[in-house]
Amino acid sequence: MSTVTLTIDGQRVTVPEGTSLLHAAEEIGVEVPHYCYHAALSAPAQCRLCLVDVEGAPKPMPSCVTQAQDGQVVRTDEGLAREMRKGVLEFYLINHPLDCPICDQSGECKLQDYVHSEGRAHGRGVEPKRVFGRDDFGGDVLFYGDRCVMCTRCVRFMEEMAQDPVLTVVERGDRAVIDTFFEQGLKDSSWSGNIVDICPVGALVSKDFLHKARAWDLDHTPSVCPNCSQGCNVDIHTRDNVVHRLKPRENPEVNGHWMCDYGRGHYEWMNRSDRIEEPFVRGDGGWSAPGWHGALASLRERLQDCRGPVHAVASAHASNEDLAALRELVERIGGGDIVYRSARAPDEVPLPGFPMLARRRDLAPNTRGAELLGMRRVGGDDASGGLDEVAASTGTLIVLGDELADQPEDFGSRAELFAYLGAHPAPAARSAHFVLPVTTFAEQEGTFTNVQTRVQRFEPALRAPGSAQPAWQVLGALTASLAGER
Amino acid sequence: MSAPARVPFRNPGWAGNTGEFDLTEAEVRGTDFVGERPLDGGHESAAPSYPYMLPDKDPDAVLFEGPYRERFEKIRTRYPTARAALIPTLNLAQELRGHVSPETMDEVAALLGLASAEVRGTVTFYTMYNKRPVGRFLIQVCTNISCSLCKGEEVLEAFLRHTGTELGETSGDGDFTVIEVECLAACGFPVAVQINSRYYENVLPDDVPALLQRLREHGE
Repeated sequence: MSTVTLTIDGQRVTVPEGTSLLHAAEEIGVEVPHYCYHAALSAPAQCRLCLVDVEGAPKPMPSCVTQAQDGQVVRTDEGLAREMRKGVLEFYLINHPLDCPICDQSGECKLQDYVHSEGRAHGRGVEPKRVFGRDDFGGDVLFYGDRCVMCTRCVRFMEEMAQDPVLTVVERGDRAVIDTFFEQGLKDSSWSGNIVDICPVGALVSKDFLHKARAWDLDHTPSVCPNCSQGCNVDIHTRDNVVHRLKPRENPEVNGHWMCDYGRGHYEWMNRSDRIEEPFVRGDGGWSAPGWHGALASLRERLQDCRGPVHAVASAHASNEDLAALRELVERIGGGDIVYRSARAPDEVPLPGFPMLARRRDLAPNTRGAELLGMRRVGGDDASGGLDEVAASTGTLIVLGDELADQPEDFGSRAELFAYLGAHPAPAARSAHFVLPVTTFAEQEGTFTNVQTRVQRFEPALRAPGSAQPAWQVLGALTASLAGER
Repeated sequence: MSAPARVPFRNPGWAGNTGEFDLTEAEVRGTDFVGERPLDGGHESAAPSYPYMLPDKDPDAVLFEGPYRERFEKIRTRYPTARAALIPTLNLAQELRGHVSPETMDEVAALLGLASAEVRGTVTFYTMYNKRPVGRFLIQVCTNISCSLCKGEEVLEAFLRHTGTELGETSGDGDFTVIEVECLAACGFPVAVQINSRYYENVLPDDVPALLQRLREHGE
C-alpha cells in the first residue's frame, strides 16, 4: 500500500494513502475536536468543528473528510484552526441552555470539554435563547432538544446501522430539532440505546440512568455483557459497589461500537441484595455456619465417602474457569453427567449495518464454553424442566449457579450428598447438605467463550458480599484436597 | 381618505413589469408559465416540480389518480432514486390537496418507499410546503431587507388588519391566509407580495384594501 508523509503540528507522520487528516492526527496523539464524525458512520462534515488549517488551502478544511496528501503541512492547534474552533463553539452555545448542573452528560460531554479547553470564557449573547423542552422518544431514550448540537449521529445510526430510519431533522435553522414521525417514537427498536452512547452532548439520555449518578463518580470496569452468547465487550459502570449501567466497549471483531438494548437493560440482577454470605452446612441438628475451612473439610470427607453416581447441574452464566473446575471435581470423584439449562429466545436480532453483531438466541454468556467442556443442555427454551433424572439421583449431586426456580421443594432430597454452590438463596436447595456462597461474574475475574468461540476476559467490578468466593476457587480447593495435595 | 386616482397597484402582477415597455407577461415569461395550465403541467421540464395551486383544493383528494397518476409516474421515471423524486411528488400532493398534512406525508412515503420520518424532515425543511390548510388566497408578504426598508412590516400589518386574521391563521370566510416570508427574490420591486403563485410588486400599505377587494371579486 502506498503511503503519504505529511506534517501535522510540526510533527512528521506517515499514513496510508486515503487516510483522513483526523485519523492522521490521531496517529501522533492529536485529537481534533469533532461532533458529526463517528468512525462507524458516514461523515457529512457538517459540525464544522474539525476544521484545520492546511497550508496552501484557501479555507480551513474539515479534517474528517480531507485526505492526507504528501508534503501537506497541517496545523490543528494554533492560529486559524484555534480561532475557527473558538468561533464555531460560540455559535454552538447561542441556544445551548448551559444546564450542566442538572445534565446527565456532564463530565462526559464533548461540548463541555471543548468549550472548557478552547471556548470563550463568557458568552456575548443578549437575545433570549429558544426553548424546546424535552421529548420522550420511547424505549429508554429521552431527547433534550435545547442541548442538541445537530450532529445527526443519531439520525445516521438509525439509518445506516439499525437501517430503520425513524429519526430525522425536522424544521430548519434554529428551529431544527431531531424528531421521529410525529408521535411514532423509536417504535420497538432493539438498538436505540446506542444513539444515547454516540450523542456527544446531553441531548439524548437514558431514562434508566436519568439523574442516577454523575459521570465522574462512576468506576469503569472492562467486562463482557452477560446477557447473550454474542459476548459484547462492555464497561460496567459502578458507584459505591452498585452497577448503574453497561456501556459498549469497542471491539471491531465482536460488537463494533455497539450493543443491544436487551443486553444494556439487564444489569439489575448484579445488584441483588438477597445473597448467600457464608457457607452453611446441614447436619442432624439443623443448619450451622462453620466457616469456609470447616465447610470444605466436611464436604471433602463426605465426597470421599460417597459411592453413588455423580450428577451435576451447571450454569451457562458461570465462567470457563468455574465450569472447568466443576468438570475437574466431577472427574476426581468418579465422573458423571454435567447438565445445564439456559434460556433461548425465539430468534436472533441482528444489527443490519454490522451483521456480525446480533442479540443471539442463547440468553447466557457462556453456552459455548459449557458445550466445549462437554456439558449437556437440558430443559426447555425458558430454562426450566429437564432435571427429572438429576432430581431422582441417590448419589452425589452438585449444583453450580442454577437457582432451580422451577423445581419442587424436595429437589435432591434422595441424594446421598447434595452440594449447592450459588450466589442467591434457592428455595429448591433446602434439601442441600452444603450451601456454599459463590460470586457472580461481576465480582470475579474470568473468561466467557462467545458464539464465535472467542474466549473473552472480564474483570471484577463489584466487591463480593460476605465471604463469597469465586466458584473455581471453591471447587479447585476441593479437587486439590481430594487429590491429597494439601 | 384621499384615495389616489391611480390603479390599485402599479403592475398587473408579474415580475419585471416596470411599465416601461409594452410587453405582455407571455412575451416575457413564455407561454408555458402563463394562462390556463394544462392538467399535465405544461412544459415537461417545469411541470412536475412547479407547484401550481388549484383554485379548488381538495384535502381528501386521492394520491394519485387520473392525470395526476400520469404525472406521478412521469416523476418516478425522471429521477434516479425515490429520494430524488420526493420533492416533486410533494409538490404534486400539495397542488392537489392545498397543504401537506401528516397523513399526506405518510401516504407519499408509502408511494415512494421512503421512511415517513424522512418525508417529514423534508416537508418541514422547505417553507413552501403548507403544513396546515390555507385559505383560497395564500398571501406571502416579504419583510426581508429591501422590503423592510420599504415598509414591508406595515404592508404585512395592513394585510392582517384588512383580512381580520392573525399571522398564519385563515380568515373566517376561508379566503385569506397571511404569512410573513423571507426574500422572494424581487428586491428590485419592494414590497413584494406573493399571492398563490403570482407576484404583486411595489405594494404599499394603502394598496392593500383595493388589492383584497380585487382578489375577492376577480380572483388572482
